[in-house]
Amino acid sequence: MNVDVSKYLDLFVSEATEHLEALGADLVKLEKDPSRDAIDSTFRHAHSVKGMAASMGFERTAALAHRLEDLVYLIQRDSSLLTRELVDLMLSAADALLAQVRAAGDKQPIAGHPALEAELSERLSSLNSARSQLNPSTPLGAGSPAELPTPQRKKRPPSLPASGSPASVRFAIKIQIAPSCQQPGARAFVALKRLSKLGDVLELKPSMEELRTSRIPDGTVSLELQTASDEAAVRAALGNVAEVALTSFSALQNARPEPKPSPLPRPPASNGSDNARTVRIRTELLDYFLDTVGELILATSQIREIGKRFSGPAQPHLEESVDRLHGLVKDLHDKVMSARMMPLSTVTDRLPRAVRDIARRREREVELVVSGAEVELDRTILDNLSEPILHILRNCIDHGIESPQERGAVGKNATGRVAISVRRERDRVALEIEDNGRGMDPQKLRLSAVAKGAITAEAAERMSDKEALMLCCLPGVSTAKDVSDISGRGVGMDAVKRALEEVGGSLQIHSERGVGTRFTLLLPLTVSVVNLMLVGVGGEVVGFPVAKVLSALEVDSSEISKNGDGSLLPHSKGLLPVHQLSELLGFPMTQPRSARPYLVMEGDRGKVALAVDRLLGQEEAVLKTLTRPLDLVPGLSGVTILGTGRPVFILDVPRLLST
Amino acid sequence: MTKRVLVVDDAIFMRNMIKDIFASGGFEVVGEASNGVEAVEKHKELRPDLTTMDIVMPFKSGIDATREIIKQDENAVVIMCSALGQESLVMEAIEAGASDFIVKPFRAEDVLAVVRKVLGDN
Repeated sequence: MNVDVSKYLDLFVSEATEHLEALGADLVKLEKDPSRDAIDSTFRHAHSVKGMAASMGFERTAALAHRLEDLVYLIQRDSSLLTRELVDLMLSAADALLAQVRAAGDKQPIAGHPALEAELSERLSSLNSARSQLNPSTPLGAGSPAELPTPQRKKRPPSLPASGSPASVRFAIKIQIAPSCQQPGARAFVALKRLSKLGDVLELKPSMEELRTSRIPDGTVSLELQTASDEAAVRAALGNVAEVALTSFSALQNARPEPKPSPLPRPPASNGSDNARTVRIRTELLDYFLDTVGELILATSQIREIGKRFSGPAQPHLEESVDRLHGLVKDLHDKVMSARMMPLSTVTDRLPRAVRDIARRREREVELVVSGAEVELDRTILDNLSEPILHILRNCIDHGIESPQERGAVGKNATGRVAISVRRERDRVALEIEDNGRGMDPQKLRLSAVAKGAITAEAAERMSDKEALMLCCLPGVSTAKDVSDISGRGVGMDAVKRALEEVGGSLQIHSERGVGTRFTLLLPLTVSVVNLMLVGVGGEVVGFPVAKVLSALEVDSSEISKNGDGSLLPHSKGLLPVHQLSELLGFPMTQPRSARPYLVMEGDRGKVALAVDRLLGQEEAVLKTLTRPLDLVPGLSGVTILGTGRPVFILDVPRLLST
Repeated sequence: MTKRVLVVDDAIFMRNMIKDIFASGGFEVVGEASNGVEAVEKHKELRPDLTTMDIVMPFKSGIDATREIIKQDENAVVIMCSALGQESLVMEAIEAGASDFIVKPFRAEDVLAVVRKVLGDN
């Protein structure tokens, strides 16, 4: 019976992917600091992937992982072998493996990498021969770790030989190891161990040293056993060893035996560790829990609404029960939310590798420092975060960090520094990405934005430097001198800002010329419960995340001034462009009134005032993501259902304005 | 009586595969451990008839774990899970007290043959 491996495919893909990603991170760490722990961990990852791939029958992947494992094994023995080029090669192997694992997951054929395999083999044999020249006594087989600490041996005290027993007999024994046996040396070891329990093993051929290297001609092992046991016991002992056949067995004349060295276990090394008791849960299941518990909250609110319409003696009891239900559901919701929290390290662990690649391609020397990665966020936020962080990092290296020569010329350390620090600020998390590069030039951004027609010269003039820096988040605006294949040209920062806003976060930029730039990402801990500002417009109710509303005010129409094609609302010291929400949503225009409410919100190009019909108040709501085709409608960021059962769309103002 | 098995491997994937093989052979998998430290604890707690032990694991290797298990129960039956290129480690494990070994990729019939023979011996 063979194991049907197809049912393990999902698990294989997810676990092998984890190992390979960790392997990549380890390799980057190794390059900086080849510590024992990092090397051992690298070895374990390569080894695990090899074992799993072999078990799945993915021979190409197993073979590639095996070569990688062998390379790491050599480094385990001699960390001075580690060079940048070798790390490059091993990273390529890790990437190739990852691609193979993905292909396997997609049920696609697994592509071989002959050039890479050849390079790995070549590197293995050259490192091996270099090593054996240095240490001629310990050559290494390319394929198998053969160098092992010799176990401590203790000679049996001559006064207590097993043969001292009067009933002791000596048997001549020949055993045959099955040709199909994959590890005949180890198999022989098992057989010898069983026999040595019965007495002393003597005249062993091949010798112990030959067995250790699995050199067993024809698979035949011969020995003599000095024992007090009878023939049946010896036969029984060998009969219980798989892949071994007893081919010859005879009793010899009793003779005085040589004391047999008996392998003794070394004292156990104690190495404690705490291991949190955890189980794996599919992320879909976590999403389902969250959805369902969200529905429960809604259902509870609905019961409460209905209960309000009842009158009579049961009413207080109903209310009390609903309160209790509400409390339980809320508690459950909190627990589900905490189960969804994951440390930011799930994102940042991959960054050293990315930074290394970008820096090498751009010929920059960059040191990445990450702190606070243990801070936890909802996994939806984390999923949305990895691309933006990566993009900002690319910008820091491409446009921020100068070349080593340029840095030297201005008296900076040739190695630039990018620091990622994370800290929790009450119910938010602040993630800062800071470089010590050349900094951004707000004036250049102003000129570029005006030249691209993104803003008017007057608007540019009015902008503070801080506001001008945010212009890099407008599509097409960038001060980068050259178009880089890595970070592109201005295309990305608007996407970064969008992605952050989608999860309820925001972006701030601080920059000082010649000193560096700091991007601050302010993120909510969770996404699913939002505080909504509900407004009425054209008979409909829509919501805005309260976090996005800068202020809500009622203004008399006499205070609104007109300029050419639009209206302006006086706000603090300036004037804000006014947009009619009904118009943006394509609702019929409402009757002009003397006084009406406005929401002041942040748009892509500064603050705007949104004219609405009514302010309906705030409500905590469980955000549900939009499904097709609603997610394609620009300006909609989600939907929620109010306690009354009424569905309400949540609007995204910057996108609404840009359509 | 159904023989009770403890499965030790740092990969869930491998543990599942081994568990299925034992289930198909009529064994009862009574526990799992994902590293050497956990293996020693679980062995002490569960006293299984048989333990399968991966060699390369975080925190404590399968060989060190085997040594400790044998120290705490000299009759413990530990089967090492070997792989290509690990033969010398298996030998070290056998010297440390392991009873036998199986080689990845596992074939259910080979694994069960080794295990049945070992248990017949004990």
